[in-house]
Amino acid sequence: MEKRFMKGCEAIAEAAVRGGCRFFAGYPITPQNEIPEYLSWRLPEVGGAFVQGESEVASINMVYGAAATGKRALTSSSGPGISLKAEGISYLASAQLPAVIVNISRGGPGLGSIQPAQSDYLQATKALGHGGFRAMVFAPATLQEAVDLTYNAWDYAERYRNPVMILMDGCLGAIMEEVELPEMKNSNPEDIEDWCLDRIGDRTDSHMITPILPEPALELLNKGKAMQYKMWEMLDTKVEEFMLEDAEYVVVAYGIAARVAKEAILRLREEGYKVGMVRPITLYPFPKASLNNLDYTKVKGVIDIEMTIPAQMREDIELQVKDRCPVHEYGRSGGMLLDDEGVYEAIAEIVKGGE
Amino acid sequence: MAEYKRPKSLMPMATGYCPGCLHALATRLVADVIDELGQAENAINVVSVGCSALNLYSWCGDVIGSAHGRAPAVATGVKRCLPERLVFTYQGDGDLAAIGLAEIMSAANRGENFTVVFANNQTYGMTGGQMAPTTLLGQKTTTSRDGRDCLTTGYPMKMCELISVLEAPVFVARYALNTPKGVMDAKKGIKKAFEKQLRGEGFTFIELLTNCPTNWGMNPLDTLEYMNTNTIPYFTPGVFKDKEAEK
Amino acid sequence: MKQSFVFSGSGGQGIMSAGIMLAYAAIDEAKHATYLPEYGPEQRGGSAKCTVIISDGDIISPLTKKCDNLICMNEQAYRKFSDDLKPGGLLVLNSSRIKNEEVRDDVRVLSIPVDDIALELGNVKVANIVLIGALIGATDIVSKDVFVKSLEEKFKSKKPEILEMNINALNKGIELAK
Repeated sequence: MEKRFMKGCEAIAEAAVRGGCRFFAGYPITPQNEIPEYLSWRLPEVGGAFVQGESEVASINMVYGAAATGKRALTSSSGPGISLKAEGISYLASAQLPAVIVNISRGGPGLGSIQPAQSDYLQATKALGHGGFRAMVFAPATLQEAVDLTYNAWDYAERYRNPVMILMDGCLGAIMEEVELPEMKNSNPEDIEDWCLDRIGDRTDSHMITPILPEPALELLNKGKAMQYKMWEMLDTKVEEFMLEDAEYVVVAYGIAARVAKEAILRLREEGYKVGMVRPITLYPFPKASLNNLDYTKVKGVIDIEMTIPAQMREDIELQVKDRCPVHEYGRSGGMLLDDEGVYEAIAEIVKGGE
Repeated sequence: MAEYKRPKSLMPMATGYCPGCLHALATRLVADVIDELGQAENAINVVSVGCSALNLYSWCGDVIGSAHGRAPAVATGVKRCLPERLVFTYQGDGDLAAIGLAEIMSAANRGENFTVVFANNQTYGMTGGQMAPTTLLGQKTTTSRDGRDCLTTGYPMKMCELISVLEAPVFVARYALNTPKGVMDAKKGIKKAFEKQLRGEGFTFIELLTNCPTNWGMNPLDTLEYMNTNTIPYFTPGVFKDKEAEK
Repeated sequence: MKQSFVFSGSGGQGIMSAGIMLAYAAIDEAKHATYLPEYGPEQRGGSAKCTVIISDGDIISPLTKKCDNLICMNEQAYRKFSDDLKPGGLLVLNSSRIKNEEVRDDVRVLSIPVDDIALELGNVKVANIVLIGALIGATDIVSKDVFVKSLEEKFKSKKPEILEMNINALNKGIELAK
């Protein structure tokens, strides 16, 4: 293991290379420019290809073409650019192509703000494009977690032949932290010879990669995917449960918000208040069980902390809480950052008010 | 005399194109050239949206369907990852000259080493005959019922001319498929473009003037004459750029 | 022990590189560190700010509202961020540029004319090294030896005079803070 003090975006880029990524296409947008900048020199070093696309639209379609060849392909952007990629992500889902999309998110809606925000939760988890498909959404809270999730993202994408998203706010994209970098993975994916365009082995039949299907086949695909999404829920949900055993108040937060909240929880614990946290690491599949199985004879309130207003994860939380206790929300938005004091005060007001 | 047989690269089925449509002939020419070059297993057909999407089902070799206008971006991804393969897009004029304008110009400007086959029938065929960027002035369509008016819709877009002013492309040519000579020339042009790609020379662009009997509201024979009197005088056939010849 | 540092000023004053250098030095001492830059949309001359947290243990949140140490390189930065310093914290002011400000009286203040000192040493670019020297002198957050090593590493491909000027700047900062 190699330790390095790295910037979030660069850590993701290096983890991608080590995870076998050999193709990147993207378009400049703040705050994720260090990803394409890093990969523009790094990918050629390992025999990969980097293309600066003429737009996000073109870039995601280059990724679509590259993924069809069986190469591990990546694109990255931020909110406005992810909206432009929506078409291509839907086509990836339809053509069952594995690829990884990174969203280093910023304030929205619209051109919004170039400052960090967690304003793309609903887009990421409910509708990354038209047509009703889902993608796994990983939401790291530390750069180490970002490295580990990125490194393994293609394993999920290839196993399920589906796009995977890494959703990380601009704050984590910009901070520098120490990370341990894993070894280079074999960049030749396995079990792709049945569908990819590359002629692996002595293939003589031809392959069709298609985003359009005859109606019965399309329904069959959608039924299969519906079953697959259930499977993700059972097998691939990732969550951190923090100090839940005796918790009377449960914070739900992901990414940077979870780090700020954790500090507030520790402070409240020191003061004697029983606060815990559910931190979704996969936003889709959402860690339903962690919230559904709380002991609601003890839990007096659930607090959704997000760096966006209004809170977007709240509906997913409420579906699990099922009115068994009140759900509160606190956030900052538009590129205004959460901070330790604001989050502490918001939680403390609810917790202490409940006395 | 040569035997007239179905190319190996095409499925033994009807193409799905309307009777008299020159798309079928254009597809066949591409398939013939691929057969002749022994590239049936090496070729990757990047199919676009519109009538040309019918190629998805009639093509025997490896094929990938792309989003509307994005075929040159998809082909970029494919070719950068598989540089030894013969990669081509097959696009209509709505796909290439309207929604896909950024993708075609940028791929051409980067000098991507693949071939674009551009079938220009001056209309949106599959969606029912709407005005295309290539529709001739005065030509009636379902969205220009009194004929295309340059005051509100501009002029028919000349893609070969546009692309040939870029530095990177190595071969840019237009052929009309309404005469036997045009067909023979087109086939030679496609072959030349593919050979250049296989030698790694760079971006090649072949425009094929075709018809649309259904949406032009003419019988197929009349469309051929219409092309002579209307299309060809505006969209002049010829080689617009040949880097080899320039040397 | 956990300490937070906010470096503030305008683009071009070496704010960001001062923060990164301090964080690197902490890592070299086997401490934990986070560095968070904040920029405006301008490429040059806009406001610049970065937050560095250094700790013996894991750093949970890299975002803090109040800092333990605030470094201001110009008046605008002081006006904008002075409230973010905890009472009793350390305020380092670039007195070459901050002259007419009324300064908080509930904090420890170090006024150092870092621009003038840097110019005397040969280049205004070493102003941020004088600053780091002052921080090392005032807080012991990282050891001088470790920081000298990281300067040696950073300037190993440059002329020896450049390294010398930087080490002089560091020493001057330490001296003035003590």
